[in-house]
Amino acid sequence: MIPEFGHLILIVHLVLSLLGGTLPLLVVYANYRSLEISIKKLSVTLFILITISFLSLIYSFLVDDFSVAYVAQNSNINLPVYYKFAATWGAHEGSLVLWILAMNAWLIGFIFFTHSKDKDFLATVFSISCQVIFAFSLFTLFTSNPFERILPIPPLNGADLNPSLQDFAFTVHPPLLYFGYSGLLIPFAIAVSAMLFKKDTREWASYSRPWTLLSCSFLTLGIALGSWWAYYELGWGGWWFWDPVENAAFIPWLLSVALFHSLITSQNRGVFGKWSILLSIFAFATSLLGTFLVRSGILTSVHAFALDPERGLFILAILAFFVIGSLLIYSITDFGHVEENKYELTSKEFGFLLNNLLLVVLAISILFGTIFPLIYEAFTGGKQISVGAPYFEIILFPFALALGLLQGVALYLSWGKSSSFSFLPRLLIESLSIFSLIILILFVLFDNLYLSSFATIFLASWILVGTLQITKKRNLSYWNFLRKRLAVTFAHAGMAILTIGVGVVSSYSLEKEIILSPGDSTEFSDQTINFQSIDDLLGPNYTSKSAVVSFDDGSGLSNILTEKRTYLPSGQITTEAGIQADLFKDLYVSIGDNLQSNIWSFKIQIKPFIRWIWLGALLIAIGSFLAGVKQFKRR
Amino acid sequence: MNPLRKQRLYALIAVLIGSLLATWLVVSALSENMNLFYSPSEILKADIDENVLIRAGGMVKQGSIEKSKDSLNVRFTVTDYQNELIINYEGILPDLFDENAGVVVRGNLKTDGSFKAIEVLAKHDENYMPPEVAKLIEANG
Repeated sequence: MIPEFGHLILIVHLVLSLLGGTLPLLVVYANYRSLEISIKKLSVTLFILITISFLSLIYSFLVDDFSVAYVAQNSNINLPVYYKFAATWGAHEGSLVLWILAMNAWLIGFIFFTHSKDKDFLATVFSISCQVIFAFSLFTLFTSNPFERILPIPPLNGADLNPSLQDFAFTVHPPLLYFGYSGLLIPFAIAVSAMLFKKDTREWASYSRPWTLLSCSFLTLGIALGSWWAYYELGWGGWWFWDPVENAAFIPWLLSVALFHSLITSQNRGVFGKWSILLSIFAFATSLLGTFLVRSGILTSVHAFALDPERGLFILAILAFFVIGSLLIYSITDFGHVEENKYELTSKEFGFLLNNLLLVVLAISILFGTIFPLIYEAFTGGKQISVGAPYFEIILFPFALALGLLQGVALYLSWGKSSSFSFLPRLLIESLSIFSLIILILFVLFDNLYLSSFATIFLASWILVGTLQITKKRNLSYWNFLRKRLAVTFAHAGMAILTIGVGVVSSYSLEKEIILSPGDSTEFSDQTINFQSIDDLLGPNYTSKSAVVSFDDGSGLSNILTEKRTYLPSGQITTEAGIQADLFKDLYVSIGDNLQSNIWSFKIQIKPFIRWIWLGALLIAIGSFLAGVKQFKRR
Repeated sequence: MNPLRKQRLYALIAVLIGSLLATWLVVSALSENMNLFYSPSEILKADIDENVLIRAGGMVKQGSIEKSKDSLNVRFTVTDYQNELIINYEGILPDLFDENAGVVVRGNLKTDGSFKAIEVLAKHDENYMPPEVAKLIEANG
């Protein structure tokens, strides 16, 4: 009964979202005032409905209702309860419901936290958001219904959740990512409504900014968790693979960063209005495009989703409708008064312009590399290619360099025209000192210097000094610092820390594949690696061969456990990497093949500073979250 | 020049330079990092230089996996059900690498007709098949 109930509620939600997507527009544009509804009440109702529907799906998982096809495909009696719960969003159907729930949550936030006297404008934003929510609900019900039953004879047991998803980071990563993606709905709806209402740039930018910052914060966290998960769960120690799915999240992230920087300029100076509108549309479009690429299965990716061309077409139709529709409005709208504040080459405005140019061109280049295999296939009659990771690395480097150099000086610039560049010598000297200090620390820690890491480390020092120095220079009181500069300091310093992490990891990482039998040892860098023992273990839903490998660098012994698990229901094998993590380096070991009787192969790695990548991302997320929240207080 | 025009000119120049540089970068990076995919049958017909990095794939032939007992060397055969290709690889294989499963390898075609793989990508879960291999099976299956 419960699944039917959830299904029914989802249908009611669909109908109400259609009402929400049409009625307010009739009221505003055809002036049918008698049809006026309370958008506050409707947004709360929609949210409650989708939550109930989602809860019924969770319930079906928790009680092992394998007559529900989605549960049967993604759960199992022996799956630990926590993973049964998380399996709800472990595959396509359930994650869509979560996605719709996230969109509804953002919409409620927008309705309740936006203080505008223009009720018609708010109603229009609400209505456009409801249209997107309606489209997603329709998509879910018609192509990906999570409540579909297997009747009359339901299976006795489920097929199990993909073992590599049975993991803590995985359970948190998708919700954060979906919240990030779906949050971009609000800036999109605001941008379209702003065009329809010919809103003043400063006004609509102030509505849009907090939501863009919050989405960006969630996207950052979601991407960082995904990277962390891939690092230990896929078992091979990489933290970014330039897989199409990763790019599909990275592109909207870049655009959302570009967007909130552009919105700062729009809100403060009234310029870049049209540009901010276009960016809002494309940030939203790329978040949909990502969904399309991931779930239509047209690109080779490590991310497995049940693939179905019909679904791909449906998402493409949604994407086309909203993007073409909003671009049409853009092209036929007369924007009315556009502010024309003047700015010089040395101005903050021009800094933001460069920032946006770099971020957007970078996003386009990454998008191009990601979909190029499709273009190539179409033009050569089915010849298949892939674009290797080096492509993306070659592209990223000059852009990161330019963005980093800009970021170091950006906070010193003034609106209109910067009068003095006296900060430059000091910035240069201090960042060179920090740079030397980091190099010295690296030399002490690892007895080695790699020239290849110098550029990134200098860049990081430059960003860090540029971020911290300005705070000192402004001579703010402690309280004022917290109020005014904390968010930007967190975010920009986070970028510096991430940059150090990337630079050191890519130059100082060591790896080796070895063959050992129990008791054997081998030398690796300054470590003595010893294969201590191997035992059979029994988990709740798997059996495992678990090996203890010790690392000894002369000062202390670390025993690390790595497992080769065989999950019982599916027979799928996974490798659980063993990691001894600390701030300066990770010791990483993953068990390979059993060559004969007790002889095993292992992959051992030393990953210096890898934690800094995720630590930096965390700071960026906190920074943009604080910046977003601060925008609410201001009004 | 009127300051507003000057300002537009700056923006325009920045955009032009930026996109020109980016285009050049994209084209040069792409031409070096584009790996063509070949099926075992296509490899027989194609003329591929030993130094060019390519990708190949198909199904791992039953009973063809030979693992060395004292090194990480592996040799196996992939088939598209018409022709076969022998793959040599040194390293730890992915967990889901198995007989009768789809696989994509990246590496170089040697002059003796065998393939030296530097990377082996197996499917990511039980139900997933690399699209290239799925298409092969559809065409020849």
